[in-house]
Amino acid sequence: MRTRKQKTANIILAAVLFILSLFFLFPVIWMLANSFKTDAAITADMNTVKAFVPPALNGSFLNNYITIITDTSFLRYMVNTLFYAAIMILAGIVVNGLAGYALAKINFPFRERWVMIIMLLMVVPTETIITINFLFVAKMGLLNTVFGYVLPMIVNPFNIFLFRQVFVSLPDDVWEAAQLDHCSPFKYFFTMVLPMSKTVVATVSVFTFLNVWNDYLWPSLVFTSSDLLTAQIGLNSITSNDNTTMGQTLAVITMITIPVIIIYALFSKQIVEGVVSTGSKEG
Amino acid sequence: MKSKRSNSLMGMAFFGPALLLLTLFLFLPMLLTLIFSFTDYFALSPDLTHFVGLENFSKIFKDELFSSAFWNTVKFVLIIVPAQSLGALGLALLINKVTICKKYFKVAFFIPVVMSLAVVSNLWMQIYSPEGILNTMLSNIGINTQPFIHSADQALPSIAIMSVWQGVGYQMIIFLGGLQAINPALYEAAEMDHASGWQKFKDITLPELKPLCVFVFITITIGAFRMIVQPMVMTGGGPSHSTYTLVYDIYETGTVNWEIGLASAMAIVFTVFVVILTIIQTIMTKDKEGKHANKKTKNG
Repeated sequence: MRTRKQKTANIILAAVLFILSLFFLFPVIWMLANSFKTDAAITADMNTVKAFVPPALNGSFLNNYITIITDTSFLRYMVNTLFYAAIMILAGIVVNGLAGYALAKINFPFRERWVMIIMLLMVVPTETIITINFLFVAKMGLLNTVFGYVLPMIVNPFNIFLFRQVFVSLPDDVWEAAQLDHCSPFKYFFTMVLPMSKTVVATVSVFTFLNVWNDYLWPSLVFTSSDLLTAQIGLNSITSNDNTTMGQTLAVITMITIPVIIIYALFSKQIVEGVVSTGSKEG
Repeated sequence: MKSKRSNSLMGMAFFGPALLLLTLFLFLPMLLTLIFSFTDYFALSPDLTHFVGLENFSKIFKDELFSSAFWNTVKFVLIIVPAQSLGALGLALLINKVTICKKYFKVAFFIPVVMSLAVVSNLWMQIYSPEGILNTMLSNIGINTQPFIHSADQALPSIAIMSVWQGVGYQMIIFLGGLQAINPALYEAAEMDHASGWQKFKDITLPELKPLCVFVFITITIGAFRMIVQPMVMTGGGPSHSTYTLVYDIYETGTVNWEIGLASAMAIVFTVFVVILTIIQTIMTKDKEGKHANKKTKNG
């Protein structure tokens, strides 16, 4: 009797949540469905349920996407961003990983104090120093260069801390054994430590990718007008163009979202763990 | 002796690259921000820089644009913080209870989190347009066309609601993690005492989640304080500066008008706010841990 009551309650709850999720996701559903339509069709469908349904598959189904790919440099901007993300992930793992290892395992002077400083740096809002960093990069003549964009972003106190937390619990006897084999510290780090810590490497890589892919303020300052634009900045120049139709705007923002959805689908476990860990660290 | 020296050498080799970059792009900028805030440094004529004491600070507190940016930011915080934290908690409680399609619900409410600020802003510009889908849906239930981001009265709440929509899934996941970490024995014990659902929530769930609530509250507050990209893309800070925020003011003063001295003073004021919030958070969570420890020793 009681379990049946619970079962109905559960079904009702799921139904309520499902309707809530449809309302919640209506902007995303609308974006996807209408990215395949002409502006006339978008307006015509607006007042019916068809506003949330993609058009029938026919020859012009992908027209908006084809226009974006052939008439704008958007594909190039996407490739640029992938390239920056790759550099940032590699450089970030080396710089922040090495630092995290030093703070976890190497007994160098003032180590504990550095750990404290890194933790304090995690709360510094980057917006406050973005002006000075922009001034630096401009003075060094690095505006509109990949170097100027990437260099100030490589070091990341949060990632250093994340690496340190994982490296602390690595067993010491592996390092002692490696020393007997005359393995250099750097070789040990890259051939033993990093492969032993695949989870944190994956978490840091995923978050670095999402940061680079979604970043707006910094690339909008460094890249003013050139072929080097990131997808987010290129997006703005496309949508603010008067010749761009509403359907094309929806197509371009769908294109820019596809990679992050793929990353999320593949690494949702790392992402959720990373998010939850920011909470449990404090709690 | 020898190993101590080799340790500090190795430490510097490992920590050095990060230290160099931290110095160049974090410590030095922080120091310069502090120094510049007491000068009238203008990036286009740096030779004419003077030490001006606290003049920048008195200037920004008298500046009408800065004070409206400040109050706009406070308004954003006052709408976003309660809506997003209660929304996240509510969703987490419901999804924690449901047993059918749990995975789908977790994904559905998290999707906007992975979308970028620029994408979400561009999408909602279409949603909020006078002939857009939202006005069409509203007209079906008898509500007149609303101007949303095109009016000084509605622009700020419209952007705030959009931000809540985008961010709520993040804190929902954090709360779900917290809910799953609560010891089920607590609920079993309560059930033996025939506690009602509300009593269980009030006496077990809420106290157990309290440290997490503080954390979520503060992170949402700091996030709302940092609002800039959404108004930048959607309204350019308008109409009539109604969505102009603190960080937007720092950004324009520094990188558009090149008044680095003034922008630095603003950045210092902004940082002080963020640091105060972080200190409050630390004290409140520490306090909780202290009480926990007391309870444990009493029970033991």
